[in-house]
Amino acid sequence: MSPTLSELEARAAEGKAAFGGDAHIVCDNLVRIFKTEGVEVVALQGLDLLIQKGELVAVVGASGSGKSTLLNVLSGLDVPTAGVARVAGTDLLAMTAKDRLRYRRDIVGFVWQQTARNLLPYLTARENVELPMKLAGRPGTGKARRGRAADLLDLMGVGSRADRKVPEMSGGEQQRVAIAVALANSPQLVLADEPTGELDSETSEEVFGALRKANGELGVTVVIVTHDPLVSERVDRTIGIRDGRTSSETLRREGVAEEYAVLDRVGRLQLPRDFMNALDMERRVRLELESDHIGVWPAREEPSDGQ
Amino acid sequence: MRILLLARVRLGAVAVLSLLTLSACLLVAGLPRVLQGAYDDALHRALQEAPAQQADLSVRTESRGALADLHEPGQFATQDARLRSLVPPRLRPLVSATGQMSAKTYDVPVNESNGLTYINLAWLSDGDRRVEWIDGRAPGKPGVLPWNGSEITLFEVGIVDEARATMGLKIGDVRILGESDQIAAKVVGVFRAKDPGARYWSHDVDVLHVTQVQPPGQLEMERRTTALIPASGLAVLNSAHRNLVYNWILPVDPAAPASLDVPELRAAVEDYRRLIPVQMAGNGSQYRLETDLPGLLDRFGTALGTAQTVMFLVLGGLLAVALGVLVLAVQLLTERIDHPLALARARGGSLRQVAGAGAALVAIAVAPAALAGWALAFLVPGPVPWVAHAGPALVPLTAVGYAAARLSVTHRAPLHERRDDVAAARPSARRITLEVLVVGLALAGAYLLRTRGLTTGGQDPFLLLVPVALTVAAALITIRCYPLPLKLLVRLAARGRLAVPFLGLTRAARARSASALPVLILLPALAVSVFGAVISGGLSATQRLASWQSVGAPIKLTSPVELPPDAIERVRKVPGVRLLVPAQTASAQIGYGGERAQIIAVDLGQWRRLLDGAPISLPAIASGTSGIPVLVSHELRGRGTFEIGWYERMKVTTAGEIAALPGFYPRGKFIVLPFETNERPGVNTLLIRGDADPAALLAATGQPTAQVTTQERALAAIEDDPLTGTVQDVLLITTAALAVYALIAVVVTLVIGAADRARALSFLRTLGLSDRQARGLTVLEILPLILITSLAGLALGLGLPAALGPAIDLSSYTGDLAVGDYSADPVLPVVLAGGLAAVAVLGAYAHTAISRRRNLGAVLRVGDLT
Repeated sequence: MSPTLSELEARAAEGKAAFGGDAHIVCDNLVRIFKTEGVEVVALQGLDLLIQKGELVAVVGASGSGKSTLLNVLSGLDVPTAGVARVAGTDLLAMTAKDRLRYRRDIVGFVWQQTARNLLPYLTARENVELPMKLAGRPGTGKARRGRAADLLDLMGVGSRADRKVPEMSGGEQQRVAIAVALANSPQLVLADEPTGELDSETSEEVFGALRKANGELGVTVVIVTHDPLVSERVDRTIGIRDGRTSSETLRREGVAEEYAVLDRVGRLQLPRDFMNALDMERRVRLELESDHIGVWPAREEPSDGQ
Repeated sequence: MRILLLARVRLGAVAVLSLLTLSACLLVAGLPRVLQGAYDDALHRALQEAPAQQADLSVRTESRGALADLHEPGQFATQDARLRSLVPPRLRPLVSATGQMSAKTYDVPVNESNGLTYINLAWLSDGDRRVEWIDGRAPGKPGVLPWNGSEITLFEVGIVDEARATMGLKIGDVRILGESDQIAAKVVGVFRAKDPGARYWSHDVDVLHVTQVQPPGQLEMERRTTALIPASGLAVLNSAHRNLVYNWILPVDPAAPASLDVPELRAAVEDYRRLIPVQMAGNGSQYRLETDLPGLLDRFGTALGTAQTVMFLVLGGLLAVALGVLVLAVQLLTERIDHPLALARARGGSLRQVAGAGAALVAIAVAPAALAGWALAFLVPGPVPWVAHAGPALVPLTAVGYAAARLSVTHRAPLHERRDDVAAARPSARRITLEVLVVGLALAGAYLLRTRGLTTGGQDPFLLLVPVALTVAAALITIRCYPLPLKLLVRLAARGRLAVPFLGLTRAARARSASALPVLILLPALAVSVFGAVISGGLSATQRLASWQSVGAPIKLTSPVELPPDAIERVRKVPGVRLLVPAQTASAQIGYGGERAQIIAVDLGQWRRLLDGAPISLPAIASGTSGIPVLVSHELRGRGTFEIGWYERMKVTTAGEIAALPGFYPRGKFIVLPFETNERPGVNTLLIRGDADPAALLAATGQPTAQVTTQERALAAIEDDPLTGTVQDVLLITTAALAVYALIAVVVTLVIGAADRARALSFLRTLGLSDRQARGLTVLEILPLILITSLAGLALGLGLPAALGPAIDLSSYTGDLAVGDYSADPVLPVVLAGGLAAVAVLGAYAHTAISRRRNLGAVLRVGDLT
């Protein structure tokens, strides 16, 4: 008996779900195109990404490589054009406006690069932390909210600044309050877009420490987009993005960093540009399968077609 | 969201919004009151100026038979009470408590006077109060007089002193009245009115004055007077042999009615008219209401309708502009609170929470201000039309509604960092079709309005819609077309060596859709101001023309008797007399029949010199024709040479035709002769130019009966009308308010775009742009929009009166002269448009001058958000 259409659909869906398995963040062939009349900008061109629950991951890449777009997609602020994006089992492409709001309230928290943008300048640190809880309309007394806000600020090491307004705090303190704000509704995931971008190295250390504390003590998955080697070299996994695709991954085990290229589901591989330049590889390469590896050689000099 | 705290943080924008709301509410609540007050004043004056006989309600009945006769004042009072009880409730506040009643005979001839003398008898309920006896005594009880072998009733009567002089009556005279069943009247006293000018005399003119008419085919005059009898005379005054009418006057207080109630009042009078014959039937008498109150109300309604239409257009324009500026200010505030709201939205605020918070902030800014403006308007005197409540309610609703709608659209998606650095959007076909449709509808509407004219009575919604449609159409065309000439200019500027014009014009040509709002504000602001100025200019010019046409000279002195040459010389020497033209007016016989015409003999050349600079002109008499060359009116045309009898028989030759002679004959049969027609001129009219004192002129003539009219006084009389004055005042206030709004619109637009502009300017300044160049750049960026919008507004404002001309009839304000030429004086509108544009540009300049103090680095850092 041949399968019915619905059975075929179910089977196809099963096949897709297999990618990434039970990973906390799954991006498969993610595409995001900004379209203004006449002009298209492809910010993500088929990005693949898997992040497990409780990981602390850094995303690095050149300016315009699509890092911030990825983060906006993951934070539920932006909707991808095509592909698969799933966070904590939630399909980011198939969400209604209501789901999206719940997702932003319950599942994700985020921190932007500009310290001024994360906080409302006319509120105190504590009020800023309470704001997301109030917006979410969580049941509980004002006292409970104040207690949680104080706990979070203490955890971030800025408990003493609770009643200060934003302009009365240093940049590092502001960013740590911003992390407390991001953690206010106990999210499963915190996304940080260059959280140390505007800070000096000492303050960056404090802010990164705060993120690591959130990851370690609260078990929150943390994804940090950064240019800062201080951050990218101190996480377990660093994902490199180039031209809207994940290109490389660096894993650190016991202080030793190993860089890997990313192999996608259909076997595409992006070679690092300096490797290609060093061997003058362009247009095509020669592959040879050995028993435990694949060799990649530059194409042999051949007489051109015309002669 | 801590909205109050947010309001405190954004105090500047909140204050701007509050002030705008306050002023808008005050204007839209206050101006209608002022207007309504003026409408009421005009109604009161119209009723006051009309004779009481027209305005008051008089109920008349003709007594038919002994049963219907009333023999004592008490019976009159009973009927009066009944009549008053029937007055419809709407009319009751208008009717004064003290009315008059009277019984009068009519057409009672003096026995054997050949029907040339009539003495009627009248009892006036308040006669004692109204007259004073200057000779003899007040009449007493009636008696009897033996006559022709029987006894007839003898009434003691009092006569007016005018009757003593013109009818040869004196105290002690007895006249037998009637051709059969006579009665006798004995004159025992002579009275005069205590207050001859009082309104109540309007109903009893026959008592106060002798009526003289010349019956056709008779040489002698027919004279009638009405003599007063006392209340005791009523007992024997019956309708059996005399025509007898009873009157009840229910005086209408001219100051009581409100213009808002005119339609109801009119209906109530008609109800009363229908009610009286039915309710008062009995005894065979027919009661009927005689009043011209509905006619008076109708005439007033026509004048009011025009004023209301013009005011509705102007105030509607003002409201639209005020709302536009308010919306702009709301936009300013919502952009100022964009960051907190966007953050709240990103951190899990629902659309309702975010838009609600923004709308609440706007409500905090506008609601108290609207309430305050509405309350302040109570200080403005005048009745309260519904618009005075609806307007102030509309203002905050618009502001809050716009804020909620705008925020809902902006924050629908949580991330509103659109990549709007890429090219400007191209207009969709759907939008262009819609715009073409609007423009086409507006033009078709204007055409239809012109061909159809105004519907009679009431407000014409079509008339109110067409200007709105025309304004929207003009705005659409302006928005759509203004980048086109700019792009041409940009090309030219690109070839030039100077950077500032190129950069400024390029920025201006890259107009964002946000620039549509200022166009939508500036264009109606200018159009309404120019429209107001044109209407008001046309009105003043026509009023001036009407005053010249009614007087015909700066000063006109007329005398019923001839002015001797030495008197003319004395007048000529009065200080201030610069030019004096004598004229003779009379009535002359045409041919040998009974046809008569008015004639005036005057030196037309001199008269023309007198009118130098006046808006009226005189035709010249063609010389060289044989006989006496004259100008004749249309009624006398085609007669060639004909004979007239004035002082002597003379032959006159038609040398031209004129429709009217200013100051003398607006129509009818008249002839203008050369002054020297008479060998010995009998001057009775002096036309004078100069600023002589009218009293001094009169004194110089030595003629107590001479009269002086001046063009200035005539103009003042036409202008001294509560409606005209208020209409002019409101136009002035509106124009000033619109100018202020236009300025605010430009400044707010600049402030909204300030961050963006500051970033661009800071960037350019790092490349070496000087402060002066930066100011020039801003002005150049805003100038094309203002200039083109000003031109469009000016054209629209000048075109609107032409488009609506046939539908707006202002003749009731100009002494019934039609306001024809609205384009008489384009200077004022052009100055207005130029001034408004200059003020707007100055605003742009000032804004740049203030914002240049910012720190370059700070602007670049703050601006760099990506």
